[in-house]
Amino acid sequence: MDCIITIDLGTGAVRVSAFDLKGNVIGFIRASFPTFHTKPDYSEQDPEQIFITMLYVLKNFLNEKIHPKKYKVLSICFSAAMHSVMTTDKNGVPLGNAIVWSDNRAKKESQDLKNSAFGKILYEATGTPIHPMSPINKITWMKNHDKERFRQSKKFLSIKSYIIQQLTGEYIIDYSLASATGLLNIHTLEWETDALRHAGITADKLPGLVPVFYSTAKLRKEYQASLGLPNKVKIIAGSSDGCLATLGGGIWGEGKATVTIEDSGAVRVMGKKVLKDEKQRFFNYLLTEGNYVSGGPTNNGGVVFEWFAKQFGDFKRAFDLEDSMENLINDASKVEVGSAGLIFLPYLQGERAPIWNANAKGVYFGLNIKHERQHFVRATIEGILYAIYSIGKTLEEHRTINSLCVNGRFVAYPFWSQMIADIFNKPVNTKNNSDSVAVGAFLLSATENGIYKNLDQAAKTVELPETYTPKKIHHAVYKKHYAIFERLSVKLFDEFEAIANLQQKKE
Amino acid sequence: MNQFILKKGCTELLLFPHIVEFALKKSTTIQFNSLKTAATDPLRIYYIVDGKFEWIIDEQHYILYPGDLAIILPGQLLGGEKDFLDIGTVTWLHIELDQLAHTGKMVPGRWSSLSENESRTIGKILVLNHVPVLPKLKEAGVLFHQIQQELFGLEIGYTTRINQLLDELLILIARQLTRLNNSRRDFPQTFLKLEQTLRENLSHQWTVEEMAALVGLGTTAFSEKVKNYTGFSPLNYLINIRISEAIKLLKQLDVNVTKIALNVGFYSSQHFATTFKKLTGYTPREFRKKNIPNN
Repeated sequence: MDCIITIDLGTGAVRVSAFDLKGNVIGFIRASFPTFHTKPDYSEQDPEQIFITMLYVLKNFLNEKIHPKKYKVLSICFSAAMHSVMTTDKNGVPLGNAIVWSDNRAKKESQDLKNSAFGKILYEATGTPIHPMSPINKITWMKNHDKERFRQSKKFLSIKSYIIQQLTGEYIIDYSLASATGLLNIHTLEWETDALRHAGITADKLPGLVPVFYSTAKLRKEYQASLGLPNKVKIIAGSSDGCLATLGGGIWGEGKATVTIEDSGAVRVMGKKVLKDEKQRFFNYLLTEGNYVSGGPTNNGGVVFEWFAKQFGDFKRAFDLEDSMENLINDASKVEVGSAGLIFLPYLQGERAPIWNANAKGVYFGLNIKHERQHFVRATIEGILYAIYSIGKTLEEHRTINSLCVNGRFVAYPFWSQMIADIFNKPVNTKNNSDSVAVGAFLLSATENGIYKNLDQAAKTVELPETYTPKKIHHAVYKKHYAIFERLSVKLFDEFEAIANLQQKKE
Repeated sequence: MNQFILKKGCTELLLFPHIVEFALKKSTTIQFNSLKTAATDPLRIYYIVDGKFEWIIDEQHYILYPGDLAIILPGQLLGGEKDFLDIGTVTWLHIELDQLAHTGKMVPGRWSSLSENESRTIGKILVLNHVPVLPKLKEAGVLFHQIQQELFGLEIGYTTRINQLLDELLILIARQLTRLNNSRRDFPQTFLKLEQTLRENLSHQWTVEEMAALVGLGTTAFSEKVKNYTGFSPLNYLINIRISEAIKLLKQLDVNVTKIALNVGFYSSQHFATTFKKLTGYTPREFRKKNIPNN
């Protein structure tokens, strides 16, 4: 029987999935690799370790789940976290670690660009918000502060491009992942000359641009041998995790949005046109030509609830975070909607959309003598979801949203999905135990393999069996609290800056 | 409780040549130069009974309160902040170990019933997780008191009991050090710390016991956690790091393959070549040639 494999090079882990041609999951395996923070603003990963982890786990997976059952692998499709930058020298050897999306070293480069007239033109041309996450700012940082590395760098790559190069020998990047670099013109599909000039590089230092369906690169014969794969197995370029989660999330067509909550989070819509936002609050990434994934990211998704659980949860068994979080959610479910007037701003890691304020901090507001521990628990979850709602609400200035598809790790908790439905006052559809990034990569692969005529047809096959209907009374309460949340999130601008300055001095 | 200072060679310690000093001291007045900064060969362990002590250990300033335990490794400096012992009561033990290398290799000596494996693991923890002061460790006070009672009681079996109590003290310290170093809440963070330690000592032949002990878990719980979190068994994760590091070195031309193999912790270049080829399909030499074709 034929099967399709997808590999997601996520922020901290490689996820390998296999599907039969009907889209049923045959198997799944995950392996993690570390992120190094050698300085406060730095987030780096070792490309060689990612490569070996990927190779190792893929080999184990094939030997355990695929080869014994005589599955024939048609193709392997890649997805990856956006915004990573690494460089290689004249021999193709990595120069240091890869700089990943959460790295903030290019704060100043970003600020300067954003405040310039050129910044506005660049945002409209490339669709990527001007932020330290964006590769254009990271490369500019390298030009300014890591001159020797910049000089020796013959290629500027994403982690995915490096991994595919190691496997096949080809330096490529798909238009989709390239559209998150701040260097690609999303209207003309060419590298934006002014952006390259700003970063101090030329197009020959970047990998070749290919469509997401590109599949002519061949696995090197040594890897064919060690993995036990035939010569004709297709390596499909694929897309980014964000775009594929949207494709796999089942929101093709009008009136829908996805809410993704992993460590960070995002609200996304799909459309044939880019969102033009005066305040530059949204990203516009390409999935395929003429299909844009637009929306806003938050820094403070599940990571904030995990932080809360680690600090204040009960740990009956060492390191059992899942158990601790479940107990907290259970506590929260017993508290009245609105947490008796306790409001939480979840900006522990600064915030991106919609306020785009790197200095933003966490705040518990409205505390009185009657509040108990469990009010904090519920307020924390409500605050995380208010922040998600604030992105959705600004998106609605541009698009009509009638229903939501929720995906990511926290879908496993019905309490969260119901709360999203209530806060947004819109029906929520989900599917538990479904990895929408992998599903998206499968749909793309299946289309490439001729199983579906096009992505429109492929996307319509996504089923989301679970539905949460909004409760009107709850929404009314959330609405009143959210109004205060929204005002607070901008009102504290000066104080956020002052406290950020104080905290920075201590670091 | 009467104070005492027993030193190696005195009658009470004749059967315990590894105990260099055992004392309980009450200071009611300040005596100048009673605790000048010095390093010694034995492992020094101090337990504060009462009072408040200001010490400099390994060039860091510490304030110790009753119930606190200080551990000074061989070669580390200890002194009073003002060169004297503050007013209060403190009890201590100086133990001569056969070996405690800076790599963490520990051989306590014939008196100890710790297995070779356990000694090695405790040694690793003492050196790698070292925190000189363990606050509020009342259990250590109890052990000191029991050793004292055995030593002056001379009841049947007291030599064995005292040596057992010394082992117990070492185990207690090792366990407490790992608890202090790990929140037991945040596995990713704890694991990252372990990974850094592994990378810094990659040529060491790590065992699962050693790794588990460093994060303060039993081996079964540790293996399960690592598998859940990383997708690999602890030893396979280690191979993963070894190969990743080897790849980096292979891409630098000035290091020879045998040296790389040993540096990243393979027994031999043969062992390295087999593991490497199984995973990548290349021998290390082929891999080097393929990646750097110009040379």
